[in-house]
Amino acid sequence: MGHGIRRQALFIAAFGLVYALVVLFAHHSYYQLILTVVPIWAVMGLAWNILSGYSGFVSFGHAAFFGLGAYFVALAQIHWGLSPWIGIPCAGIVGGIAGLVVGIPTFRLRGHYFALAMLAYPLALLYVFEWLGYQELALPMQREAPLLHMQFTDHRIYAWLALALLVGAMLLTAWVERSRFGMSLIAIREDEAAAEAAGIRTVSWKLRAITLSGAMAGVAGGLYAVVLLVVTPPAVFGMLVSAQALIVAMFGGVGTVWGPVIGAVVLVPLSEVLHAQLGDVIPGIQGVVYGIAIVAVILLAPEGVFWKVRDLLRKRGIKAEASTGDPAAAVTASPVAEFPARKPRGKDEIVLEVANISKAFGGLQAVRDVGLSVRRGEILGIIGPNGAGKTTLFNLLNGFIRPDQGRVLLEGRDVGGLAPYEICAAGVGRTFQVVRPFRRMTVFDNVVVGAYVGAKSSQEAHDVARAAIKRAGLGRDALRTAGELTNKQLRLLEIARALAGRPKILLLDETLAGLGGAEVEEVIALVRQLAAEGITIVIIEHTMQAMVRLVDRFVVLNEGALLAQGQPAEITRNEAVIDAYLGRKWRVGNA
Amino acid sequence: MLELQGLSAGYGGLPVLHDITLRVGAGDFAAIVGPNGAGKTTLFKAVSGIVQPTAGGIRFEGRDLLAIAPSSRPHLGIAHVPEGRQVFPSLTVRENLEMGARTPAGRAAWKDSLEKIHAWFPVLAQRAGAFAGSLSGGQQQMLAIARGLASAPKLLMLDEPSMGLAPAIADEIFERIVSIHGTAGLTILLVEQRVAEALHYASRGYVLETGRIALEGTHEELKSNDRIRQAYLGM
Amino acid sequence: MSASQFLENFLQALTAGLLTGAIYGLMCVGLSVIFGVMRVINFAHGDFMMLGMYVAYYAFGTLGLQAIFGASAGPYAAAVLAGPVIFVAGLLVHKLLVSRVTGMRGSALSAEGHYAQLILTLGIALILQNGGLYLFGSAPVSIPTPLASSAWELGPLLGDAVSIFINQGQTVAAIIAVGVVVAFVLFMGRSPLGKSLRAAADNPEAATYMGIDVSRAHRLAFGLGVAVTAIGGGLLASGSSFQPYVGLEYVIVMYAGVVLGGLGSVSGAFYGGLTIGLVQQLSTLFLPNQLQNTAIFVVFLAIVLLRPQGLFGKALRRT
Repeated sequence: MGHGIRRQALFIAAFGLVYALVVLFAHHSYYQLILTVVPIWAVMGLAWNILSGYSGFVSFGHAAFFGLGAYFVALAQIHWGLSPWIGIPCAGIVGGIAGLVVGIPTFRLRGHYFALAMLAYPLALLYVFEWLGYQELALPMQREAPLLHMQFTDHRIYAWLALALLVGAMLLTAWVERSRFGMSLIAIREDEAAAEAAGIRTVSWKLRAITLSGAMAGVAGGLYAVVLLVVTPPAVFGMLVSAQALIVAMFGGVGTVWGPVIGAVVLVPLSEVLHAQLGDVIPGIQGVVYGIAIVAVILLAPEGVFWKVRDLLRKRGIKAEASTGDPAAAVTASPVAEFPARKPRGKDEIVLEVANISKAFGGLQAVRDVGLSVRRGEILGIIGPNGAGKTTLFNLLNGFIRPDQGRVLLEGRDVGGLAPYEICAAGVGRTFQVVRPFRRMTVFDNVVVGAYVGAKSSQEAHDVARAAIKRAGLGRDALRTAGELTNKQLRLLEIARALAGRPKILLLDETLAGLGGAEVEEVIALVRQLAAEGITIVIIEHTMQAMVRLVDRFVVLNEGALLAQGQPAEITRNEAVIDAYLGRKWRVGNA
Repeated sequence: MLELQGLSAGYGGLPVLHDITLRVGAGDFAAIVGPNGAGKTTLFKAVSGIVQPTAGGIRFEGRDLLAIAPSSRPHLGIAHVPEGRQVFPSLTVRENLEMGARTPAGRAAWKDSLEKIHAWFPVLAQRAGAFAGSLSGGQQQMLAIARGLASAPKLLMLDEPSMGLAPAIADEIFERIVSIHGTAGLTILLVEQRVAEALHYASRGYVLETGRIALEGTHEELKSNDRIRQAYLGM
Repeated sequence: MSASQFLENFLQALTAGLLTGAIYGLMCVGLSVIFGVMRVINFAHGDFMMLGMYVAYYAFGTLGLQAIFGASAGPYAAAVLAGPVIFVAGLLVHKLLVSRVTGMRGSALSAEGHYAQLILTLGIALILQNGGLYLFGSAPVSIPTPLASSAWELGPLLGDAVSIFINQGQTVAAIIAVGVVVAFVLFMGRSPLGKSLRAAADNPEAATYMGIDVSRAHRLAFGLGVAVTAIGGGLLASGSSFQPYVGLEYVIVMYAGVVLGGLGSVSGAFYGGLTIGLVQQLSTLFLPNQLQNTAIFVVFLAIVLLRPQGLFGKALRRT
């Protein structure tokens, strides 16, 4: 990990050096200006990328932070004589606070609604600043002490300043990407609910992201004001500003340090030059170029130039290796293994107790007054027809939904109504009926995300993750991307991710679904092993033949209510259970 | 009537079906059974064109289905009643049936099929003006089947009609399907996770496991097969 | 300000709000159809409206509708004509660009597909806005009509104290807008085509099983959506001046109205747009003119945050 970051830093330094040299030889003031705005827009793109690229919450409103930064620097210099040397860092603070203030209400929204709400902020500010009479704000010339007020006769210095800012933003992004911060954001992007269930405090990470993102945009806006000397509401709060942040990032590639930089280096000079050359003949050429760039990127390389190129290079590499099939696919049917006898330990100690829990969705009573208790080290099977409320019960247990009434006691502590990450931290891990891996992360990173909840340092999280992967038997696949795993491997990955949180109790939702005969035996063996190691297991499953041999006890749900509970032998002969779930054919078969 | 030849399919590069070959004759009542995630629904979606096969062919009455656009396949006489019912919730019961009857055959037989549908499912006549979203699960399932029948199909594909229904209602629906098969003389292909019920009603069965056909035969053969008895019937 | 004067101002703003609100409502219906059927938020919607304004402008002047229908009726004929023209433009844009990231293919891409659509329409918006600058120039124009400067006087009421003026041009425009909305709602509710559009909106997969060509349904919805809004734009064009960037001013108005009405609900969108018109005009009683739009944004944000299912809509339920 550390090695990766060092290499990244080296690349960034090299890029900075080359760019600085290019600036050195730019003598025309027009090119100097272009060389200055390129890093500014790259920083803007990186700011957008921190929030939208990593967490997946697309913002159409980054102009709000940019504009506030620009106006802060201008107004502070005009009214208080504050030098931009201090004003620009303060603009970062202003942008950060604005981000936080915007984020707190707006993160209650998702998808389209979030994007639309973000659009409204800069446009509302635009009208407010016009109304305040700041139609055109010029930064006063400071002939006395120009250097103190960031005013240089050699315009290359602006470009170097902007470059320094960019290099800083790139290093920051590179660090975020490999840290717990970035990993949590990526997990949120891939599957927010699964991240929350794996112990990630999603709200808090999202707020940190928008704060940092707003701060970076504020700094970029502040420097922009100093460079252009004039600030107008449309120039800093306008739609084109938000669009430009998004475009340079999307064009270059989202979710990487290099994407926004590539985007800015290619697109900004292109549109500037076209604007200068053809602006008189074809007004609006700049916007048209951006528009065409967006359309082209979405249609041709929606993942951005950086990823497209990297995928092309990788593909070539893989072809050269010519791998010989997937060893995991070669699993063939094997005779049913005999399980080692397993004695439930600490028979009487109750780990989880559910008392009279109920949940209704609209008119549908999904879970009705269910009470049950689970003993330490036990394997409890939950069965019942589809729609009986099994998964809803799991969602109540891990905090995805709040019970209308009733209590959930984990080792005597009431966890009903806590957030999923809190319940995860308290020791409840879960898997999902339809697997929810973080598809574009590696197996290792998936499990690391699950390990953060109990780990004090990244190093510890990595160690815990490695152990969990080994326990789940995924050692050979640790560096593969989750998206390329087989169904069985995905099931194991979810178990490993849950194990990394060091749970006391594991909720397995149809973990055997869709597995072939031999695969079922493998996963069952793992579940038994985990139970033998002291983890309490609650499992929902339809495959009765496997369940009868796996579980110590059954709980049967029907239409949201508890129908029966007891030993496998009793349950399979229970008339009510046969009627509701097992079906008449079961009775005929057993008769 | 329906022929799958060496069919393979999947989602986004992840293979789900491998080399499936099966044949449903005119007038048959065939069932495809198997565990969750075995690829049963994907198989139906491949026939309807929602999923693109990666290899193999599909023929319907001798015609190559893959050369026909998904939205034109219902016009040939294939009615797909999807998993989880998928009625149009903001349309009324009547409008849902009208949607089913968009095919040429359905339009021609509209009056006749509406009468038959109301005879099979009287509740749909009573609730003709209600929004489909306001129906109960069992009623929605009946509407989904009726919507399929309204197209006056030759082949009716039913994807897990018992899903999420109480056993009594599921049995009622199975019995209705059997009587429809008997009176309307159409071909039925049923996908079910409830193996026992499906094998009880259907005349021929296919067992799908992890995307492959593991076993096939008449329902007597399958019901007496040891592996089926052990794995699915719990005997 | 005396009580009667306030009452007069209030009634005047209320009337103006209802009249502009009717046109906003029409524009919102267009945006809402696209979202309702395709689940796409069309960023370029305001710019299609702008195109509609210019179509009406050139149809009225250059094409000679003024000569055919006269100065009073001509602008409205031109506005209605904008509908079919923009309908065709919408079909083309959908076929060439939008369809590649939406439809059955888009829905398979889930969340990423949605962002691709959103961002693609942003690109289209930039091209239309700035391309418009080249084609139409940046100078504001408007369609002159004598009706815009004539008004009916209602009153004096309450003795002599209160009388309100109702702009004739706006009234005719509002009546046409309501007429188009009614026709459109009937089309969606009653016609077989409208029903299959709704079916495709409810469940594209099941619609395919009914033999409905979903991508054709989407194309139709996109064309109809931009056409309806373009008529709204054409109606506005005779009352106020506009330039190629005008879409931006209205795009938030439209989003606010659509969200207010509940994303995806066609009749809700009309009431949402009406409400936005009222908020905008009534806000002038308390706020300086420049903050009219800010008032809309505040209402918009409040609605999005407090009641994302909209004031008039029920929570979206998709099975």
